[in-house]
Order: sequence, then C-alpha cells, then structure tokens
Amino acid sequence: MKKVFVVEKEDNVGTAVGELLQAGETVGTEGRIKDITVTVAADIPYGHKVAIRPIAKGEQVLKYGLSIGTASADIQPGDHVHIHNVESNRGRGDLYAEQQQEE
Amino acid sequence: MTEFMGYVRPDGSVGIRNYVLMLSGTLYANKICDYVAGIVPNTISITHPLGRCQVRPDLRMTRRFLSNTGMNPNVAAVVVVDHFKEDGCTAYDIADDIQKATQKPVAVVNIRGEGGFVNALSQALRYASGFARLVSDYQREAVPLSKLLLGVECGTSDTTSGLASNPSTGMCSDMVIAAGGRTIMAECTEWMGCENWLTSRAATPEIAAQIVAGVKDIETRAMASGEDIRGSQPTGDNIVGGLTTIEEKSMGAVKKGGSAPVVGYLDIAERPTSTKPGLYLMYGPGHGGESISSMAAAGCQVLVFNAGGGHTSAHPIMPTIKITGNAHSYELMGDTVELDVSGVLRGEFSIEEAGQRVFDEVLATCNGRLTKSETFKDFNSFAIHRIGISI
Repeated sequence: MKKVFVVEKEDNVGTAVGELLQAGETVGTEGRIKDITVTVAADIPYGHKVAIRPIAKGEQVLKYGLSIGTASADIQPGDHVHIHNVESNRGRGDLYAEQQQEE
Repeated sequence: MTEFMGYVRPDGSVGIRNYVLMLSGTLYANKICDYVAGIVPNTISITHPLGRCQVRPDLRMTRRFLSNTGMNPNVAAVVVVDHFKEDGCTAYDIADDIQKATQKPVAVVNIRGEGGFVNALSQALRYASGFARLVSDYQREAVPLSKLLLGVECGTSDTTSGLASNPSTGMCSDMVIAAGGRTIMAECTEWMGCENWLTSRAATPEIAAQIVAGVKDIETRAMASGEDIRGSQPTGDNIVGGLTTIEEKSMGAVKKGGSAPVVGYLDIAERPTSTKPGLYLMYGPGHGGESISSMAAAGCQVLVFNAGGGHTSAHPIMPTIKITGNAHSYELMGDTVELDVSGVLRGEFSIEEAGQRVFDEVLATCNGRLTKSETFKDFNSFAIHRIGISI
C-alpha cells in the first residue's frame, strides 16, 4: 500500500512523497501517524496533500502540527487538499502589528 | 552532561576548528590572502569584492561582517590585509575590533605601507607562519555543550525539506538547547506567513515586536526595489509542486528552528551578548551566502544546512553540514552532502531518530570530524550583506 507522510500527530493532512496516488486507490499513512487509511478521491501528484480526517468548512488545515490555512469547503478524508479548498490565513505580520496597535 | 572537545579561547568562547585566518579588508588584498592560505598549513582565506567606495551604512556593514567573522571562536589568530586605508573600515580598525573583543593574536598588513605587493606578501606570509606555529600548540579540551552556538539554514528546498530534513534539524536544535546551548536561525524573508508561530514562542513582547518588524522591514526594502515578496507567495511553481499557502511554505522552512522558545533577536551578523539557552532569530535576507556568513559572524561554530536538492554551500571557517531528505539528491550530490534522512519518508526510521543522527553528526563535527566540503577546501559561501549603491 502506498503511503502519505504525516509530520505531526495533530495533522489532518498527509503529503504524497512517492509515485502518483491514483483516484480510488486506498493509501496508508507514514510518519507520526501510521494507522489511518483513506481512499483517495482524485489523482494526487508527488508533493500534494490528502485529507486524512474530515475537515469542515472554516476549520484549520493542519500540517507540521500548525495551521496552514482555513478550509474553504467541507473536506472528506481522501480529498485532494490544495488551493481549491484551502484559503491562506496569511498570518500576516503587518496585520499582527496593526492588531497590536489597536489593543 | 554532553560535552565536546574544543579549543577554549581567551574570551571563554570555544572553537571547533583552530584556524589562522587571512582576512581581506578590501578586494585589492584578496590575492595576498589567497596566496598565503595556499602556502601556510591550517590557514584559511576570506575574500570579498567590497571595502571600497561604499556608502557609510555599507562600510559599517562590511566592517561588522569582517570583524565579527574574525571574532568567531573557530579562528585562533588573524592577519588582516588591506590596501587603501578606507576611513572607518581599515585593516587596523578590523584588527582592533577583533583584538579588543577576543584578545586573540592579530596582525595587520597594509600593502602600500609595506612598500608594495611583494613586500606585503612576504610580511603576510611571515605573520601567518608565526601564527600557524603558535596555534599548533593549542589543544582541544572537553567543554559542555552549552558552549555551542549552532546555525541552521535551508536552501535548494524541495517537498522533502519541510517534511524530513528541516524537522530533523529542528529536533537537533531542540537537543542542543536542552543541553544549555543556543541556535541561530536567520533569513527573515522565510518567516513571512508564520510570524504568529514565532511570536507565540517569543520570550518577551519586545522580541515578538522585533520579529514582526524584521519581516516588515525586509519586505519594505524589497518593495523599494520593485519586488513584492509577499504578494507573489507561494509562487506558481510552488503551487504546481503542492504548496498551497505562504504559511505552509514558511512553516516548512521554519521547522528547522525546532520548537524551543525564542529568547533573542539579533540584527544581521550581530553577536549575541546573552548566553541564555534558546533560539535566536536574526534579521537578514534569504541569500544563502549572506545568511550563512551572518551566522558565522555572530559566532556560530557549526551550521546545519538543509539542502533538499543537494548543495555545495560551505562557509570558510564555520563547518557546514549538509543534509537532505531526498534520496535522489543524495545520489547526485552525495560528495558534498553528509546525511540522507529520506528514510523518514519511507518509514525506515522516525523523525526523532533522524534528529538524533543530525545531532550525532553535529557533535562529531564539533569534535573534529571534517565535513565533506572541508576535505575539498571548497569554501564558497562568504558574502557580505549590502544596503546601498557603490559610490
């Protein structure tokens, strides 16, 4: 079984680090989580992310144990996770600075 | 208690190498430094194209990089060579900075003052020869790991960098800090998008504010040259490669700094005055040579460079350990890359085990093991940050 790599236990996505994952294929997880299997919903190229848990619209997408953005749609385990269903929070330093000034 | 075998300097800092440094103050002195380093054993040359006709802030920057590099504990003695006496950055100024801060032996050669190239070369050779004999008596002794200032860097990053090598290096950094040591991470262009994670780890509100201001400053400077470095992130190539947001890209890079508290913020090439264990963040650009050189100038004795695509980068006096999480890169670039941690991605060993391997390589290098680049004397990564134009 092909595997997606999960960096931290909190993560809800894994990354394809081998050959192409084909739509309909069942894949496992490697890294800090080893016991999840998902059926991928679309072809997933090397370096791209797959949801390993359900992520509701508005929830944080977690990789490295940290938020890499907000789900812009409901995401099911096995879904391709990318710009079509994730929005950057941008963690923007300039916004942070403004926020600090306002407080 | 973890210890390493190092050279204890008069100022209490500890070197992992014991070099005589030929330090060029200006481009016109480069060749003399190179010639002497080619003859005298254990002697390293640092050269650059600057030190002449620079605006004041740049001249101060050049002096800071050169003086602070000479202060690095891996350097046992220094010969500074220049030609013109560039006001504010003469070889005497640089030698004086180094001597006052560290009490290590220094000498100065001014090409014009010596009566030309041939006399200057012979005088530089005489000084270096004397220093090489002097420092050959110095012996390694056991010191605690708290004496270590580790640098972490990444370049030629690929998908594997954020997943395997940077997290492994982060674990190594956490281990060094747990033993009382310090780590520096520079390249504030790469903090963009994950400032919140870094500020949440800042030991004081002042440090948090400095982190945010640092990113903003470099962004503003780039913008003044017409480059929008935030608006274009992640790049089209990144998105094709699977990176979705700027946060994701930056976090992959910042993972190399581990999870320890951020206890200090440094200007580029600034030497930390605190010995408090923890992560120190340093202002500076993503330019590898400048970034690495700024950490060597700050006093880092060793650097871990995460090179997903493989790399030859190596600083002249700060041993540069390269690691990759990409087995193909290791196959291609293994002659200058020490460690392949791609086994993490294949499930052959854990990130913790990879972190331990990085730590073991760092410790062995501190104890005297040569990096692959050192065996080739391929010392290619010295560069001085620039601010303005030449005049």
